[in-house]
Amino acid sequence: MVKSLLTVVVALLVAGHALDAHHSFAAEYDGTKPVKVTGTVKRVEWANPHVWFYVEGKDDVTGRTAVWGFSAAPPGMLARRGITKDVLKIGDTIQVEGFLAKDGSPNASGGRVTFADGRQVFTASSEDSVPK
Amino acid sequence: MWKRMISVLAIAAVFIGAEPFRPARAQTPAAPRVPRAPDGKPNFTGVWAGPGFAHVVGPGDTDTPRVSAYDAKNFTPVKPGGEFWLKRKLTGNTRVDDPTAYCLPNGLTRQILSPYAQQWIQSTGHMVILYEYMHFFRTIPIGAPNRPHDKDIEPTWMGDSIGWWDGDTFVIDTVGLKEWMFDASLDLSGGARWHSDALHFTERLRFTDPTTVSYAVTIDDPKIFTAPWSQEFGMKLHPTWKIFEFVCEENNRCQGGQCAESELQKK
Repeated sequence: MVKSLLTVVVALLVAGHALDAHHSFAAEYDGTKPVKVTGTVKRVEWANPHVWFYVEGKDDVTGRTAVWGFSAAPPGMLARRGITKDVLKIGDTIQVEGFLAKDGSPNASGGRVTFADGRQVFTASSEDSVPK
Repeated sequence: MWKRMISVLAIAAVFIGAEPFRPARAQTPAAPRVPRAPDGKPNFTGVWAGPGFAHVVGPGDTDTPRVSAYDAKNFTPVKPGGEFWLKRKLTGNTRVDDPTAYCLPNGLTRQILSPYAQQWIQSTGHMVILYEYMHFFRTIPIGAPNRPHDKDIEPTWMGDSIGWWDGDTFVIDTVGLKEWMFDASLDLSGGARWHSDALHFTERLRFTDPTTVSYAVTIDDPKIFTAPWSQEFGMKLHPTWKIFEFVCEENNRCQGGQCAESELQKK
């Protein structure tokens, strides 16, 4: 399972800056402003057009502390990657890498999630950029 | 004299003993074993990963979503004025620049490259395509090749599609498309790709093995390009997949780049 998820991560990284699924990445996120937030999962909204999950913590890039909202892929897309609703649990400590929302609010694309044990899950939509 | 006669006889003997001449014939590739409908036509019924996926064959294949763009290498020269659509200037208003961010349809031709599952249902008279993305669908009547479309078609996002069989190839011919997004390319410095309302869009699908389909599209947009051009993609059958519900308006939190504040984020 972990191996297949990592395969997906690698495949998507190789694919590089992909384009759109629901909307263009560039319409809502700033690809020049990466965030890397480490914190605690507070809530998960398993809904369309994007799953959202909230992490209370600090952005390593700017030092900003907030309850961060991260946009992930839609439920169907995640399910086909083998990622189910229980992959993110309230109280988990995770690190999320993505890009800041264009309006500057503490929201971002949720590109890559790293768990405390080192497991990585690519939760973003296929359109989303991933910090290199 | 004798020598010459012997030579002639020898040559004649060679020809008499040889196989009769047959003109060279192109090797017709054997038709792949494909699923067949009761009427004998290839059967496209099933859930598919369309051209918006990277089809990796082998263990661990999850058919990774990977949205593609139409490859500019295939484009024919652009007509004067064609840049108006092909590099449509951005306004800074997302509702205009990328209406899908407000949950409006992606339409044809952008839908073809979306990385969501799609279910095809085939009957003798119709091909129905159910796209997971936005719950969009196409109902395509099957009939005589190259028959005319209905007259006075009101342009729509998915246009007016008719289908026919060309041997084992299923052809979908679409006109009546609203001026809309050509694909998902949104270059902040170069503009967005749109097609015009004159687009004539053709899809040709044929099985290359029991679970793989060659999906070739031809773009004929006389307002933009000097000639039609084509690009080939792939489509992969996934018997274990299903299409999911997708209600775009449900939780579109950062609509148009303006994120709604979650109650968790309120201080």
